[in-house]
Formats: sequence, C-alpha cells, structure tokens
Amino acid sequence: MMENCYIHIPFCSHICSYCDFCKLLYHEELVDQYLIHLEKEIKEVYRGETLETIYIGGGTPSSLTVNQLERLLCSLDILNQSQKIEYTIECNFESMTEEKLKLFKKYGVNRLSFGLESIHSKNLKFLERKASKDEIREMIHLCKLYGFYNINIDLMYAIPNESLEELAQDIAFVLSLEPTHISTYSLIIEPHTKLFINHTNYIDEDLDSKMYQLICNQLGDVYIHYEISNFCKKGYESIHNLCYWKNKNYYGFGLGASSYIGSRRIHNTRSIRKYLDDQYILDYEKLKKSDIMSYEMILGLRLLEGVSKEEFRKKYHQDIKQVFPIERLLSQNLICDNGNIYIPVDNMYISNEILVNFLKE
Amino acid sequence: MKRANIRNFCIIAHIDHGKSTLADRILEKTGSISKRELKSQMLDDMEIERERGITIKLNAVQIKYQYQNEEYYLHLIDTPGHVDFSYEVSRSLAACEGALLVVDATQGIEAQTLANLYLALDHNLKVIPVINKIDLPNADCDKVIKELDNIGFSTHEIILTSAKTGVGIDELLESIVQLIPPPTGREDTPLRALIFDSVFDPYRGVIASIRVVDGSVKVGDIIVMMETNATYDVVGLSIDTPKEKEVSSLSAGEVGYLYASIKSIDDVKVGDTITLKSNPASIVLPGYKEMKPMVYCGLYPIESNRFEDLREALEKLKLNDAALTFESETSKALGFGFRCGFLGLLHMEIIEERIEREFNIELIATSPSVIYEVLLTDKRKIIVDAPNKMPDRSIISKTYEPYVKTSIFSPKQFIGPIMELCQDRRGNFINMDYLDEDRVTIYYEIPLSEIVYDFFDKLKSYTKGYASFDYEFIGYKESNLVKMDILLNGEIVDALSVIVHNDFAYLRGKAVVEKLKEMIPRQLFEVPVQAAIGAHIIARCNIKALRKNVLAKCYGGDVTRKKKLLEKQKAGKKRMKMVGSVEVPQEAFLSILSTNNKT
Repeated sequence: MMENCYIHIPFCSHICSYCDFCKLLYHEELVDQYLIHLEKEIKEVYRGETLETIYIGGGTPSSLTVNQLERLLCSLDILNQSQKIEYTIECNFESMTEEKLKLFKKYGVNRLSFGLESIHSKNLKFLERKASKDEIREMIHLCKLYGFYNINIDLMYAIPNESLEELAQDIAFVLSLEPTHISTYSLIIEPHTKLFINHTNYIDEDLDSKMYQLICNQLGDVYIHYEISNFCKKGYESIHNLCYWKNKNYYGFGLGASSYIGSRRIHNTRSIRKYLDDQYILDYEKLKKSDIMSYEMILGLRLLEGVSKEEFRKKYHQDIKQVFPIERLLSQNLICDNGNIYIPVDNMYISNEILVNFLKE
Repeated sequence: MKRANIRNFCIIAHIDHGKSTLADRILEKTGSISKRELKSQMLDDMEIERERGITIKLNAVQIKYQYQNEEYYLHLIDTPGHVDFSYEVSRSLAACEGALLVVDATQGIEAQTLANLYLALDHNLKVIPVINKIDLPNADCDKVIKELDNIGFSTHEIILTSAKTGVGIDELLESIVQLIPPPTGREDTPLRALIFDSVFDPYRGVIASIRVVDGSVKVGDIIVMMETNATYDVVGLSIDTPKEKEVSSLSAGEVGYLYASIKSIDDVKVGDTITLKSNPASIVLPGYKEMKPMVYCGLYPIESNRFEDLREALEKLKLNDAALTFESETSKALGFGFRCGFLGLLHMEIIEERIEREFNIELIATSPSVIYEVLLTDKRKIIVDAPNKMPDRSIISKTYEPYVKTSIFSPKQFIGPIMELCQDRRGNFINMDYLDEDRVTIYYEIPLSEIVYDFFDKLKSYTKGYASFDYEFIGYKESNLVKMDILLNGEIVDALSVIVHNDFAYLRGKAVVEKLKEMIPRQLFEVPVQAAIGAHIIARCNIKALRKNVLAKCYGGDVTRKKKLLEKQKAGKKRMKMVGSVEVPQEAFLSILSTNNKT
C-alpha cells in the first residue's frame, strides 16, 4: 500500500560544509525550470493513492521565493490527501518569512522541520551556517501563532572542538523552544563534502559516545526516544520517517530522490541536466524476498521498539529466528525479546555490530 | 652439433638490474623469437615472476647465432636473482662456462653483484662485465666503469648495453663467442649430466633441466640418479629454442630437458648427477647439497573449512618446489593448518602469495621462526622450529640459534645507521671493506632470527634505499633464548608466541602489546593484551571497548547506501579470525615481528 510521498527541492542559498545531500546553489530560472519538470514527473508516476504523509525536503525548500513555493504547493494539489495527513516542509531560519508561513497554512502544510544544528558561533562557523538565538525564538513564536504546533528541530553534535558543555547548552536551548520533535545527529564527514576534502577528523570516539549519552539523558525526561537519533513528544513521531524504518513503500519525486514501489527501490538521477531532460531515473533494484527481510530488520531495529515477531511472521510467513541468528545475539545480550526483537538503548550506538548479522551471506 | 661451436653461459646480476630484459633482447636479436612474440621478459614464466620482476624458476634456451659464417649454439641459462635461491644459482653456474655480469648504469655495483661474481669465479667461469641501462638519463657509466675496475676488470673488457634500445647487443654476442670457452668433457666416457633445475608437468611428470658434462644420453636409455638412486627410462629429450623442440639425444656440452615419467620431484634433486644404468660413471659431479629450509611459519586458512584445499595447494606447489616442506599442525587459536619450511623470506612470501592468488585461499601466516637447537638437562639435543615446541624452561640446559654472516653494501655515509641497525639486531661487527673511496661492504654476524622479518625493509629505509645485502649461514651459537607468550583477554594465543633473546624480552613484549593494540580494532568489551614469559607478565595494555559503530542517519534516500555500508563492514569482518571471543585481523599475526625494538 502506497501512503507516503517525498518531494526533493535541491536548492540552497548557501552550501554547508558538511552537506552531502543532493543540492544546488539557488538560481531563480533554474528553479522555475525544475518546478515544471517536477510536476511532470509526479503526473507521470503518481497512481492516485490516498496519501498519509507528504514530506518536502531538500536542499532548503524555504529558500524558494513565495511565488515559486506557491507554484510548487499548487502542483502538489493533485496528490490525494487523507484526513489525517502529515504534511511536512523543511525550512531554515534565515529564509523563513511570515508570508511563507501564511502560504504553507493555505495549502495544508501542518508540520515544519527546522535545521538549527548548534547555537555556538564557533560551531556554526565550522558548519558554515548562520542563526541567532533571538531570531530563532521569534520565528518559532511566529510559527505557533500561525497554528504550526508540530515542529521538528535538528541538532548536530560531535563537531570538531565541541565540548560537552557546549552541547548541554545547545540542548537546553532546543528544549526551551518546546518543539514536538527533535532529531540529533553526530557529524558525519561524507565524501564529496568540504569537510572531507579538507581532511577533517572525527572527534574522539569516547567523547562522541558521551555526547550521545548526554543527549539521551537530557531529552529522555521530556521526550520519547523512539529511533536512534530521533526524539518526540507523545504522539508526535514523524509518521513520514516511520515509513522508512517500517520498510513501507514510498514515492520519491525530484532530483536525487529515491522511491520504494512494490519490491523495487528506484533511484532518481542526481544530474540536473538529465532531470530537466525528463530522464528521471538513474537505476533501480528489484529486491528478492531475502533482501526485503534484511531491510525489515536493518531498518526496523533502528526503532527502540524494534520489530514485532508477530508482524514479521504475518508479512513473510516465516519466523525471524528461522531467518536470522536471533538466538546467538540474544545469548550475547546484544538484542532483547519481549514479543518484539529490539536493540536495548545501551547498544544502540554500536548497532552496526548487530545489524551485520541480518545481512544474507 | 660441433662442441667447439657451443657456448654455455648465464646472466648474473643484482635484482632489478635488467637481467631478464637483456635475455629478451638477445633472443630477439638472434631471431630466436620475433618482436611480436616477445612478451616482455620471455624467460619468466610465472605470473608472480613477471609482476615482481624476479626470476624464480630456471630456464635454458638454445640460441642459434651466425658468426663469421659459422653457426654457433648459445645456451642461455637463466638464474634466479635472489639470495634465497643461491644454491639454485650455484647449480646453474655449474652448468656454464661463462657468465655475463650485468650492472645497472644508474645503480652501480651492489651486494648481490659481488656475491654472484664470487660464485661465478668459484666455478671458474669466464666473466664478461656488462653495464646495462646506459640509455637512462641518470646513467653514470664512468663511475660504474671505475667500480668494475676496482674489482679487477679492465676497461676494454666492459661492454656497454641498453637492453631496452638494443645498443651494444651485437658486440655482446660477439664477445660471448670469442671469450667464453666451448665446453670440455668427453663423449666417449660414461654419462654424467648435472641436474640444475626441475619443474613438474602434469602430463609428463617431472622435467629435469640438465647439462651433459660427459658422454651422451638418448631416448630409451635407462638412467640412474646418483644421489637418490632412482632409476627411470628416458621418455623424451628436448631443447628450448625457446619453443620446445624434441631431440633424440644430448651429448657432452649440451643443455636440454629430460623427462622420464617421474612422479616425485624428490627423486630429481637439483645438483644430482644422472648416469646410465648400463654404463655408470664412478664419480658424481661435485657440489651436491641437500636444500634445507631455513625459515618456518604456520599457514592457516582464514576459513577453517578450507584446510583440505590448503593441503591440496601446498601439494601442488611442492611438485615444482623441492625446497618447500610442510606438515599439518594445530593451533588452539587458528585451528588446523600447516607448519611450512622455506629457503628464506622471499621464498615464503612467494608461496603465500601464490596460495592466495592461484588457489584463492585467504591465509593467516604466523610470524616466521628459524630452527633453534635446545640442549636439555638430560643431555638430549632437540630441534625447535616453532615457538610452541619450546620445552619448559626447567628442563632446558642451553639454547642455540642459527647465525648468518651478512655483507651489507652501501655508500659510506650510511655506515652509522647501518651499524646502529645491526647492533639493535644483536649483530657482532666483523669488519669493513672499502670498494672505493665512497662505497663500503660491512660484515656482521647476526642471528638469522633477527633478519627474517623486516631487516631488509629497515635497511632500505635507514639508507634511503641505497644499501643492498646478502647473507650466508655460518652455524649455531649459544644464546639465552626464551619463549614469550601473548595473552588476549587472559588467554594465551599460541599462534602469537615468539622465541626471543632474554635480554630483549621486556622491550619486545612492550612493543608487541602496543602493536597489537594498534592492530586489533576495538571490541564489544575491553580486552587486555599481555606479554608473558612463563607465568610472569612482562607487559600489558588494554584495547578499549567499542563505543561507536552506528549509522546515525537513515532516511528514504539513504537506505540502499546504508545497506551497502553494512555489507562492507561485514566483508571486513570476514578477514578477521575469532580468537576466543576477540576478532583479530589476519595482519596482526605477522605484525608482531615488525615492531621496532627501539620503542
């Protein structure tokens, strides 16, 4: 069943030093062109299902002009929305305006996701981002005024030379904004980013792990830790992102987006030239049952609740333990079983050591 | 074939001085092979030989050469270029009357140039000095001529060549005919033929490379190997031109191949003399020596179910390599494997590489060990070729280890670092010879165990690559040796035990545990690494527990890539060996010998 849809807007007014997403520097005419072809792609692929989630990510969708945003949202009106739709758009504090908020409201957007990352100017400079605490507070206030209560804030840690104290201050600031959802990430130095090219080193593994523990402790009192890097207030899980971790189907439209349709994982081109030539698809992979079961576990074990044995059996007509070395992992206390197979939170930060056991030989 | 028109010669050189390329050019110039057929380095058969640019197995090629309206038969006998194979070199020299001594115009004389020259002179060969690679921009012929002058060659004998461009090859061919004497020996005396190499052919059995010294041999003859007493019917004789050509007989002075449905390479020992059963010679040819392994190590398949495949691989390699020995052994840490004996380190590396490449078996090699002798308190003397065969200290009276005499050849500005290196390796200085005002040979007595692992690498780095070295076994000396064990997570890992000199044990122990800490990745729990002599712990450090190995971010666009990352991690784990509950990378087993003593 297809209930989820991702739309990629690959434009930013500035490229951050760590970013390895599919992104381009904002260019007005290019965006105009892009929106035309995006609409074309959606019309060609979308089969009219009623969607539970729409997620507009980037890039920085909010970097588009009001006019462009309106055209984008208007073209998405052909997507059938369920009554309870979760409709998210990614924003940054610099480019958001009251006018854009009004527009989002008009088109039914009901969840905003802001990249905050850090409030320390040293760290922001390193990441090549800008933000001031006052502007941020003001913007969040404004969002709430317009009725956007469901807000996610992204927080980054393990930035070179960052201290535990700085992180604690970042966390306190994020908590003061009272978002419904917080995503935290340790900095990953991906190939093809400025940081990688400049041979940036990771911080010490022990400090990194302490930072993760600090986050889990500080947020854990107020928020539910439901995925490795994600926290939410009760009832405010990201329904869209849960579709990835629960191995459900989703559409992905736009440059560099990925779809999971039936048993096919489809990757769109990352070349804007090809995209504008309507050659959307780069490649696809048709998954075998064994691959799908691997994904079910690798993705599902990211969730603190883990994977339900019962649902696994219903879905694949096999017991998890017949397919994967559950018994051994249980005896090593690496995973637990309470009807669900799950990774205890203390092992989450070394979960790759566990996940490799769920790949086929 | 007129004996007066035969010339048997070989090419000797330091490694990489262009020996094989020169051989190629000679084949091409004489029309033995067309340019089109000439894969670079025609005489080097094996893939690894060609890649490493060294010659492992020998070859003998017959070249027809027209000189002053006479047809000459030049037999070029290729020799291996490394110290591990010096006995094989000496046997191929024994099959010749002359040698081309090749020196690289950019490098000059090196340790093996001298070692090979002395070997050639020992065999009374006529030596023609050749300076090769004169086409290179950094060639310094005057300097090399002076060096050759210093070791007794006169300027007018020296031939300048470029095997690459072909310059000087004609002159070289003429000199071979003019200067190298034709073979002596008589056809009417009983057969004596020297075996100077053998290879195994799956269809014909062992093929022996032979030089007929006296008499003649023909197809159908019944032959006897004078050392092993094995008897066979000669099935075929051939020569290499370098295409194989069948002949009906080989006579005194000639070089060729003999096959006789010989199943076991052990019956065809290099250096042995072949004679006829019906009319045997009474005296064997001089110089026969049993080839004995000098260095041992354990080879284990990473995947323990490939033990039988490894046995098969070793058996196949053994068919072609009489010097390789192996017997099965069991390690608590590594499971079933083989204790293998080699002539030297290069030999060991080549075998390991061939097993991994030709048979696709991933290996763990334990650190190489030499053969120790141990005198027990009950006066019995035993041989120890593996650390785990070392008896308990309470019953040891004395221990002995093999020593070699090394000659290190180097520009004089590196004397200091070289002596420092040799002292660190427990070497005793013998003396020093100046070749000219710049270059010197330094002689040291060093325990063989101190050079088996990374001595050559260290020497190269201490001397910016300028020094070269050679060694010969000189005998056993008493030495205060102990077995040092390594414990991972409190348990002895037998495959990591080493035999060390007592005075150096503490430093070695410290260096080894630190090296292992560096080599072994963090584990799910903290792992202590200890070095111990008997029950006494002499060094310790801890491998910290793994704190982070996570895909922090995973959304719709990432899933495929994240799965690939996990697959990569899983593949990495496959190259690890579970030792108890600790995952140890295969390199760790070898790394413990490469620790720097000075740390």
